[in-house]
Order: sequence, then structure tokens, then C-alpha cells
Amino acid sequence: MSASAAVFSLSQVLVVVALSPLVIGLMRTVRARLEGRVGGGVLQPWRDLRKLLRKEPLVADGRSWWAVAGPLLLMSSSLAVCALTPLLGTVTFDRLPDDLFVVVSVLLLGTVAVALVGLDAGTAFGGMGSSRHMTISALVEPTVLLSVYALSIPVGSSVLSEIVEARLDDPATVLSPVSLLALLALTIAVVAETGRLPVDNPATHLELTMIHEAMVLESSGRDLAWLELGSWLRLGALMGLVSTLLVPWGVASELSVVGLLVAILALAAKLAVAATVLAAVEVALAKVRLFRVPELMAGSFVLAFLAVTASYLVVQG
Amino acid sequence: MADGMRRYAGVAAATVVLVAGLALDVAVAGGGTVTALGGELRADALSAFMLTVVGAVGLTATWSGMGARSDPPPSTSYAALVVLFLGAMSLGVLADNLGVLWVAVEATTIATAFLVGHHRSRRALEAAWKYVVLGSVGVAIAFFGIVLLYAATRSAGAATLSWATLSSTQPDLDPSLVRLAAALTILGFATKAGLAPMHSWLPDAHSQAPAPVSGLMSGVLLSVAFYAILRVQAIAAPVIGTGMMRGMLATAGLLSLGVATLLLIAQRDLKRMLAYSSVEHMGVLALAAAVGGTLAIAAALLHVLGHGLAKASAFVASGWILETEGTTRLEDLRLLFRRRPGVAVPFLVAMTALLGLPPFSLFFSEVAIVVAGVQRGMTWVMAGAVLLLLGAFAALARQVASIAFGAADGDPGPPPDWSAPGRRFPLGVALGVTAVAAFVAGPFADLLTDAAGVLGAAAG
Amino acid sequence: MPESTYTQLVELSAALLLLCAVLIVWRRSLGAQIRLLAVQGWALAGLVAVLGVHEDSVELVSVAVLVAVLKGVVLPRVLSRTTAADRAAAREETPLINTTASLLAVSFLTMLAYLVSRPVLVLGSTPAVAAVPVGVAMTLLGFLVLSTRRHAVSQLIGFLLLDNGIATVAFLTAGGVPLVVELGVSLDVLLVVLILQVLTSRIRTEFGDADLDDMTELHD
Repeated sequence: MSASAAVFSLSQVLVVVALSPLVIGLMRTVRARLEGRVGGGVLQPWRDLRKLLRKEPLVADGRSWWAVAGPLLLMSSSLAVCALTPLLGTVTFDRLPDDLFVVVSVLLLGTVAVALVGLDAGTAFGGMGSSRHMTISALVEPTVLLSVYALSIPVGSSVLSEIVEARLDDPATVLSPVSLLALLALTIAVVAETGRLPVDNPATHLELTMIHEAMVLESSGRDLAWLELGSWLRLGALMGLVSTLLVPWGVASELSVVGLLVAILALAAKLAVAATVLAAVEVALAKVRLFRVPELMAGSFVLAFLAVTASYLVVQG
Repeated sequence: MADGMRRYAGVAAATVVLVAGLALDVAVAGGGTVTALGGELRADALSAFMLTVVGAVGLTATWSGMGARSDPPPSTSYAALVVLFLGAMSLGVLADNLGVLWVAVEATTIATAFLVGHHRSRRALEAAWKYVVLGSVGVAIAFFGIVLLYAATRSAGAATLSWATLSSTQPDLDPSLVRLAAALTILGFATKAGLAPMHSWLPDAHSQAPAPVSGLMSGVLLSVAFYAILRVQAIAAPVIGTGMMRGMLATAGLLSLGVATLLLIAQRDLKRMLAYSSVEHMGVLALAAAVGGTLAIAAALLHVLGHGLAKASAFVASGWILETEGTTRLEDLRLLFRRRPGVAVPFLVAMTALLGLPPFSLFFSEVAIVVAGVQRGMTWVMAGAVLLLLGAFAALARQVASIAFGAADGDPGPPPDWSAPGRRFPLGVALGVTAVAAFVAGPFADLLTDAAGVLGAAAG
Repeated sequence: MPESTYTQLVELSAALLLLCAVLIVWRRSLGAQIRLLAVQGWALAGLVAVLGVHEDSVELVSVAVLVAVLKGVVLPRVLSRTTAADRAAAREETPLINTTASLLAVSFLTMLAYLVSRPVLVLGSTPAVAAVPVGVAMTLLGFLVLSTRRHAVSQLIGFLLLDNGIATVAFLTAGGVPLVVELGVSLDVLLVVLILQVLTSRIRTEFGDADLDDMTELHD
């Protein structure tokens, strides 16, 4: 049991690390093509990472050890999330179940790490970015929890693998209104959590509109590489989670070479589709003004809440 | 020809309704019923009485509200809307199906909406907007209740909204569902009847509408809404008992009396004063419905007639006051009795009736309701009601007295003007009927008892 | 129609109805709200049609067509004509409670709707009855919109949402009400909306815009 779980977790980490920069590259390319540009190519994020990893980080005076530790903590939490979420297989460790609350807590670790990096720099923009980031996270956490909780009620357990397995067994639940509502809320939450439009524009160069970019403004070299890769991994893992919940087919229930290969291909396909759709929607949307973001979050919270109440009623009958 | 039609359309329609009502009164004497259209229209004693009320009040308001022959006739839309209003009200009291009753009540909201906003001033538009929105919302709640009632009958196997079927067969309805349905329906129709706390549209609408329309609304529309409450109460009582409905109606009644008394004390506008008086009297009716039983319901029906006639007369007279004095502010109308007895006298007589002074029937009906309440164990409620009624009496009397009495300035002024811009004969007849109604024994009293009996075993 | 398909279709229409109601509370633009009302009308018509097919009732299916025409086409068109004259103020910029608070109120009202609908659940355990709380929730949301908006057309939209909610409950609990009553009700709703439209335009002429907060002359 634990051997196959280890194989799955390791492969998940490797695959997501390999695919996430490609996902980002694909999104940038789709945006570029839709906007009439050529773009830097799908492999550009890998090239950026390689460049950054070879550079020496320049740390300003007055920064603490957190400038090095923070990015590493973000990377670790992102890798942990990749290992825990059931992207390739629904086999888990006995002692470390991929429970919803565990995953959300690990995500939160990464969130806090980045926020502290922004504060650590001591600049105005860093602090501004951190405070905005934490505001949005505070609004997003309840929604993520509620929406996955809504999906867990029919299953009776909040372990993500069991939720995915239940959805594999009974395809009708995937298209039920409860599931659709919950996934809609989760999508909005993921978009906010990972700093995509319409909450945050990752391609902006105007400091006053930045949220995530402001926090990493003072980092460079290796530190910046970890920060960038960490956030890409979060995006990849969360997108993978949403796609797996929406389209559970392809996820392996037990360890086999064929099953694993099929799962990897399925995950790649799902991420590609999700990335394209997300990028296309981003082109059409404008960034929401910051004081309107709580409205958006409240709306997604309401949707998740409705999903929870509805699924309670469906269970009661 | 067309002018004549427009001028007399309202009166003609009201006369037809009154004649039909009187005919039906005779036909259903002794507890019979008259049906038409295959049972869709059904007249029992209660319907016949209500139809008479609609006709009588309608005739009073339209006939005396007619201007002098030299005045231009009303517009076609005005005349048509008044006829539509009377028709809808008649359909409402004659319909056997609760859903059709609902449609009729809603239709009157539609008919009166433009009548309220007739003057197109800022205030009239505000009043019309509040009236339509609040009225429609209230009626929508009532519809919700009717839907649930229908669902309850459907699940009991006898899907029907017919009063006749429901009261005769008394199907086995689910109590919790009927409780919810009854509460919503009564709440909705109470909004339309102007009971507190959903009364806020009433003062605005009745004060801004043309006087005959206010008379029609106060006298007819509120009464038919009350009639709907009685019907629903009678259907629900065998299923859920009278406890909840008694509580709801008693609360609404006392609240209405309280609100009316409070807001009558410092009232500055004549027509708003009359509107709050309507709220007060609807509170009395709600208390009567809460009490239940033959005496209380018969007294309530007598009160409906008396209040309708008196209020319509008062509104028409207030319209004349507005026309001759140009204002409805009470402080500008001091000693109107000295200056223009022609319009002040009918107004003061109507107000005496509304104050609940004998010999007018409202005195007797109010007393009877209190007595019935005490008889049936609602002593404290009745005590509160009597206190509030006295308070309202005092407030209203004070306002009325300023019109009638008071020290003269010393300057005799112009000679008293005994003319009136309308016909006083129908007003006199209406007030005369109100005066003698309580004393007329025989067939009239029997009709009231029969009508109360229709609500029958359910009421108590 | 197989039972599971029927259940799914009923659930789907109910969810769509509720989603439209929530989005009407969420969105600020009057044009978007009117479009959502139209979608909701079509969803309601779909629900009635599903119920009609399930119970083999031609009457219900014809009522579904009536509902689609009235609530999906006619009423939204009347509303858009009312707002067409009001280009500048076609957004509800100042509701009485802000959007975040409204949305939290939505969660609370939905819970309330489920609690209040418990007596209705005695009607049986069919999928149709299980979806009644959605209708009650729509009614309560209609009340919310009606009482917290200042623009005349927003109050109209709230009233129509209320009416849609009641109609949903009617169809789910009893397969509608007798046809005659249904026709009367539809006619009444249409007339009320037309009246309010005329009043709105008169208000606009008198007051300069359709902001109801300006109308405070009548009081004691």
C-alpha cells in the first residue's frame, strides 16, 4: 500500500514540476496569439527558470534569512500539495491521508511564506502586495473549504482521493447541480488564490495594480526562481485538482505501468485544456478593481454555501 | 351620448350591482344558495350581503361623487376603470374558487393603480407606486398561501380551490401545510386590507386619489379583502383550529388600532385622517374575525356596511371641501361649519358615524364585537381594544371639533354658504341607512345571522 | 421518461433557477439583471415542461409555453424598454446594503428557505417536492431585492423574481394551479408590470430620474 502510494506521489511531483511551467507557457502563448502577438513560446518559462537558477541572488541590506528561507518554504509546500492531491492516482499513505483540511493548510503555509517574503523586503510595494494577498486569501480559504466540503458530503469523507474515487464510480454525480455549483465556486477561488485575472494580472508592470508581483519584486536569482516555480506548481496542482474533480476519468485506482502512463497523459491533456480555456477567458476579462474583489469572493462563497446546503438536502432526501 | 355614458357609467354599474345584491339577498333568505355558470359563481348569504355592500357603497361614492351637470364629464379611462373596479369586486365576492377571488382582488389593484395616480402630481405618483408595489407583494404572498392550500388538497386526493367543495366535504388536509398556507394567505390579504404593520400604502393612496375613488377603496376594497380573510379562516379552522389565526388577527387588530390612534393624534391632513380612520376600523374588523362566532361575525358584517357607507360619504364630502376650500390641511379648515355648512354638515354627520357615536350602526357593531370577545374569553384583548378605540375617538373628535366648534374671531365674515359642489341626496340616504341599520329587525338581522352562519361550524 | 433522467432534469432546472436568482442579487447592471430574469423564465418553462412530460399532461406543457412566452420574452422586453430611456442611470450604484452584505444575506435567506419549507416536505418525497426550497429561496431573494434597491426598475425586477419563486413552488407542489387561475395570474402579473412601467416613465418625467429615494414627500 505505502509503496504504491510512494510511487504515485513521487510521479505526481515529477510530472507536475515538469508540466507546470509548460502550462504557464501554454497560457501565455494562447493569450499572445489571441491578442495578435507571437509570444515567447511554450518553453519560455523553463528557459526563464534556467536563467534565474544560474544567477546569483542580490539581497538588499536589512533583509533577513527569510529572503532565502521563504522561497524554499513555498517550494516545499507546493511540492507537498503536488504529492498529496490525487492527480494521477487515488492511492494514499496510511499515515498521511490527503485530507481536504491537510491540503488547504499546506497551501496556506505557502501563502503565508510568500506574504512574509514581501514584508521582509521592507519596501512599500512589498508590504502592499502582502496585505492584498492576505486579504484575498482570507476570503478565499472559506470558499475552497466549503466547495470541496460540498463535494465530500455525498461521499461521507473529506479525503480527496475518496471523493475522486466516488466520482469515478458514479459518473452521475459529476454532472449534478451540487457538483457544478461547487466546482464553479472552486474555480473562482482557485483563480483568486493563484493570482490570475480577473483578480490579479500576472503580466502587469504597474506596481500599484500588483498583488503577487509586488511581493516578489525585491527577489532575484535563485530565490526568485523558487518563488516563481512555487507559484506555478500551486497553479498546476490546483488546476489539476479542479480538472480531476470535474473529469475524474484517467486517474488510476491502483498501481500499474499502463495505468500510470494513461494517468500522466490524461493529466497532461486536462491541464492543457484547462490552461487554454483559462487563458482565453482571461483575454476577455478585465481586472476587477480591488475593492470589488470581496464582492466576487462573497459571490463564490455563496455559491459554495448553496452547494453545501443543497447536497445536505439531496442526502437527506 | 358618449359624454353621458362616461358621466353615468359608474353610477349605472353600481346600481346594477346593488340591485343584483338585493335580489340575491331575497333569494338566499333562509340559508339557500344560488349558483350560476356551472357552480363557478356561487351566492350564499355571505356573498349576497357583500355584494349588497359593494353596490350600496359604490352607488354612494359614484352618485354623490358626480360633479354638477355643468362640469366636464370624467375621462373615458376613469369611467372604465371605475366600472372595472366594481365588476372585479363583484366577481370576487361571487366566485366559488379561491383562486378567482385572488385574481379579482389583484385586478382591483390594477384598476385602481391609475386611479390613485390620476392627478399625476409628484405625491400622487409616489402614492401610486407604493400602492401598486406593496399591494402586489401582499397579494403575491396570498397567492403563495393559496398555492400551498391547493397542494394540500391535491395530496389529500381532492384537488380543488372551491369553497363549496372544501367546506362541505372537509377533506383530510395536512395540518402543518395548511397552517403555513393559512398564515401566508391571511398575511397577504391583510396587506390588502390595510392592517398594520402592512398598512403603509393606505394613507398615501387614499389621500392622493380622487375623493370618490378613495371612498370606493376604503369602503369596498378593504371590505372585500376582509371577506377573503373570513373565507380562508373558515376553510382552515376545521384543520388547524382557531388558535394561530386568532393570534395573528388579534395582533394585527390591536396593532392597527394602536398605529391609527397614534397617527391620528397629530394628524394635519384631512384625507390622511380619514385613511387612518379606515385602518382603525379594519383593526376592529380583524378583532371581530379573531373572536369568531355568530355574534362577532354578524356584528363585523354590520360594521362593514356601516363603515363602508360612512367612509364613502366622508371621503366624498372631503372631496367637496378640497374643491371649495382648495386645501385639505386641517388647520386651514377651522370653523368650516360656520363658513360653509353646505359641505361641512355632511362631513360632520359622516364623522359622527365614524366616531362610533349612536344612533349610527357603528356604535352598536363595535359594542357587539367587544361583548362577543368577552363572551368568548378574549377579555384582555378586548380591554386593550376598548382603550385604543377611546384613544382614537379622542384624537378624531379633537380634529373634527376644530372644524365644527371653537370661538369665533369676533368678525362675522361672509354669510354661511349652504351649497355643495355635488349631490347631497345619496349622501343623506347612505348616512340615514347607517343610522337606522342597527335598529332594523326582521329580514336584515336574519340576513346577517345567515351570513355569519355560512362561516359556520368553522367559526366556532 | 426514466425516473433518473426526470430527477436530474428537475434538479438541474431548480439549480439554474436558484443560480439566476443569486446572480440577480450579485450583478449591479440592470441590463444584466433583466437578461438573467429572461434566462430564469426559460428555466422555469423548462421545469414545467419536464413536469408535464413526466405526468403526461398536455395542459402543463401548454402552460410551459405560456410561461416561456410571458416570463422569458414579454416581461424582459417590457423591462428593457423601461430602462432604455435611462441610459445614464442603468446601473444600481447605491443599493441600501452593499453587494457583499447582500450576498451574505443570500446565504442566510437560503438557509431560512430550507427551514421554512419543512412543512411542505410532507407532500411526499418526489424530486419535485425536494426542490420546493429553491422556490421559497427565490421568493425570499425577490423580497431582498425589492426592499434593498432604490431604482424603480430594480424593485420591479425584485417583484418579478418574487413572482417567479411563487410560480416555481406552485408548479413543484401541485403541478400548477387550475388553468383558469394560471391564466388570470399571468395576466395580472403582465398588467402590473405594464402599470409599473408607465408609472416609472411618469416618475421619470416628474422627478427627473427613477430613484425612489427622492420620493419622500408623503409621510406623517
